[in-house]
Amino acid sequence: MTLRFENVSKRFGALIAIDGVTLDFAPGQITSVIGPNGAGKSTLINMAAGSYSVTAGRILLDGIELQRLKKHQIAQEGVARTYQNIRLFDGMTVLQNLEVCLFAELVGEAWAEVLLSGAARRSRAARVERCRGELARFGLEPLAEAMAGDLSYGNQKLLEIARAAILRPKLLMLDEPAAGLNHAETESLKRRLRELMRPDLIMLVVEHDMSLVMALSDHIYVLHQGKLLFAGSPQEVQANPAVQEAYLGSPGEIDQIRDTARRRTNRVRIRADADIERRRPHSV
Amino acid sequence: MTSDRSALNGAAASPALDRLGRARAIALPLVALAAAVIAVLNAPTYYVRVVDMVLIYVLLGTGLNMVVGYAGLLDLGFVAFYAIGAYSYAILASGQFDIHLHFALVLVIGGALAGLAGVLLGIPVLRLRGDYLAIVTLGFGEIVRLLLNNLDWLTNGPQGISRIDEPRILGFALAEPQDFFWLLLPLVAIAFTLVWRLECSILGLGWAAIREDQDAARGIGINTTFAKLLAFGLSATLGGVAGVVFAAFQRFVDPVSFSFWESLTVVLIIVIGGLGNLVGVAVGAAALIVLPELLRDYAEYRMLLYGAGLVAVILMRPRGLIDRRYNPAWVMRLLGWR
Amino acid sequence: MAGFLLQQLVNALTIGAIYALIALGYTMVYGVLRLINFAHSELFMLGAHISYFLLAVAAANAGGAALTLVLLLVFAATFVVVGLIGVGIEAAAYRPLRGASRLAPMLSALGVSIVLQNAVMLFVSRRPLPFPAFLPQLSFELGGAIVTAKQLFIVGFSALLMVGLTRFVNATSFGVRIRAVSENLQTAQLLGININVPISLIFFIGAGLGAVAGIFYSSYYGIAVFSMGFIVGLKAFTAAILGGIGSIPGAMLGGFALGLLETFGTGLLPIVSAGSIGTEYRDIFSFSVLVVVLLFRPSGLLGETVTEEGMVYKRDF
Repeated sequence: MTLRFENVSKRFGALIAIDGVTLDFAPGQITSVIGPNGAGKSTLINMAAGSYSVTAGRILLDGIELQRLKKHQIAQEGVARTYQNIRLFDGMTVLQNLEVCLFAELVGEAWAEVLLSGAARRSRAARVERCRGELARFGLEPLAEAMAGDLSYGNQKLLEIARAAILRPKLLMLDEPAAGLNHAETESLKRRLRELMRPDLIMLVVEHDMSLVMALSDHIYVLHQGKLLFAGSPQEVQANPAVQEAYLGSPGEIDQIRDTARRRTNRVRIRADADIERRRPHSV
Repeated sequence: MTSDRSALNGAAASPALDRLGRARAIALPLVALAAAVIAVLNAPTYYVRVVDMVLIYVLLGTGLNMVVGYAGLLDLGFVAFYAIGAYSYAILASGQFDIHLHFALVLVIGGALAGLAGVLLGIPVLRLRGDYLAIVTLGFGEIVRLLLNNLDWLTNGPQGISRIDEPRILGFALAEPQDFFWLLLPLVAIAFTLVWRLECSILGLGWAAIREDQDAARGIGINTTFAKLLAFGLSATLGGVAGVVFAAFQRFVDPVSFSFWESLTVVLIIVIGGLGNLVGVAVGAAALIVLPELLRDYAEYRMLLYGAGLVAVILMRPRGLIDRRYNPAWVMRLLGWR
Repeated sequence: MAGFLLQQLVNALTIGAIYALIALGYTMVYGVLRLINFAHSELFMLGAHISYFLLAVAAANAGGAALTLVLLLVFAATFVVVGLIGVGIEAAAYRPLRGASRLAPMLSALGVSIVLQNAVMLFVSRRPLPFPAFLPQLSFELGGAIVTAKQLFIVGFSALLMVGLTRFVNATSFGVRIRAVSENLQTAQLLGININVPISLIFFIGAGLGAVAGIFYSSYYGIAVFSMGFIVGLKAFTAAILGGIGSIPGAMLGGFALGLLETFGTGLLPIVSAGSIGTEYRDIFSFSVLVVVLLFRPSGLLGETVTEEGMVYKRDF
């Protein structure tokens, strides 16, 4: 069982975000995708999850072509993801945020829940039981009745992962899970992600935090300007000169950029802008 | 964002009533029922009529609440389903075509027709963004009214259909407003029960997720189109049922009763009562139907006051008059049913 | 035949101009606040009524020679008064709700529109008011069609206003700010623009244009009535959507497009259906256009297509 991006391209108008990339992700290991900003990392997740359409190529999960499916169908195939900027249901409780993930599984029996009062109570109880158990695994059980929107940032991130995990997905994609976390929280995250690992789970992590990536990953893909720059183990990636150049820039590049910026002029009518300039002190 | 307990758990119950002990689970509803019986049997017909109308609007509000309150979709053309239900009875149980179907049968037919219309309307329309959805449904409501006005051969046009059959249930004729009260009360009770259970079910959670963030809901595997269609269809069915009862109650229908103002009234009931809260629907219906009756002398100013009241309530309490905490769960806790 | 078509064209342009003026108000407000300003149709109605009284006053006092000046004054006064009412409505009924749910401002707008309509009905007149004819009753023939001075005036003056608006939005500093807040409200705020100024300006201009449209409409059809706003407003909104909501040139294009569609469509309906569907279906026709556009091309002719990029990280409605 594998995830494969086969010759995948994505363009937004004239901008090519991903350019003919082929990547394989194996189960039972944590594969990270890294690269400087604009490399197209989040785009990969968005395409696999169905938020973006694929301009060319295929995305295959166990032979199923994900790029043909609708978003909810992809999720029902066992694909779970977290978001860079958290998207929880703020107005629902922590427990409900988890319960609602069971929708696809349980909606078929909803009619029984409505028409038979005994069944209603029983199914709700079973559901709550299951979700509380999951919350306990993440240490969030005491917060079950709190509104998701009221949680601390760290707990919200945890809840997102709990939601992604509850249905035992085949593919778990994490979009910058460590963003905004302090050192202790990042360590905790590392532990949890390792705990979540199963032999039949494919975990794809997009991340900027290098210490986390190097400590956590079994395999790393480095993207740069929409193309695959390098692939290998954490040690190999750290040592590779091309990767270093991509992140830090080659020696002459910085000066080149400075020169160009100085020489460029904007040929736009100034009059209107000048007006705003003059008025700015009053308008703040 | 309220940081109190989850909406489904409702507010804490009153300790004073706790002292009544277990008995209150049965005692309180029985007392209420007895009071209702006595009141209805002795009150002047006029008052009972008003109560009947309130109950019909509660039915309408319960239906629309599923779409607006739970799923978060603004339907401004709800009157269309009300009209379909009403005209179903008018056409199938009157002298219009000399068809005289049984009331209970038309209740099912009218509800089904309205539900079907809801699903058919929903299929193309539900993928629109919220404010577009509002306008399209408003347009649909208007189109239905204009069709009722112009399809003379079917609906008798602006003159409407009169001399609608008197409804009969199990041999009993529903002639007086009191009779309709005995029909409407259980009908509303059943509707409340079913819709409340829906709200607590996984489907209700799915609707809440759609309301919160539709895209994220899709991301966790919710087939949002299906869920929204279901909301639309179920709410339309309830609207149709209310329409059938209305036609049987008035024994006369005409297009004027099914204008945009009706849609607006039902929306107001929900908004003023408290979005997504069944208790609020009951309160809102009572307020919006009873108040104009009390202000009969100022009937002319009714719409003006409606509008001003709407703006005032929205500005002061954007989430409605009744807080989310005071929902059916709270009522059930008061009664000791939980 | 050519005469018939030309006649329909002239009629279409006239009503189209009126729709365009009203549509501009809808589109500008929607563009910046994502709000369907239901009260806008009533400002159209108010324009007709306020000008009715101003014209009565003018007729009583002014003589023939100063007529054009007086007329322009009436137009300007109506524009300003209704514009200010529009600004007031925004400040009182919409601004406090800017952070609230998407439902709240829409319902507030509905409430305001109900209040305005009923206020006029109760305190001004329940019955239609006969609108004075302030233009000479001239008409002349053009290629088989009869064109009236009224129609020329409406189309001409509307075109002038639209050109003026376009210049204003594209070439002045106020216009820049209007475009900035329409593009991205939050960013404009972060850049230090006091967003209330361009927003109020949008409401002022939109309301004023709608009011002038009211004057045109009432003078064209000869009456002003409290209920004139609802259906015309809905049609103008259709025009705004048709042209692409949020786009100013779109509203203008949409207005004329709807005028053409409506006039030719309902003109042809009796012919096509051999008399069974008559022109009373005009309103159904326009609503159907609305429904069809929203179903098949919600971005309209010139409107923004929401890109995928925006969709992932923004809350979808």
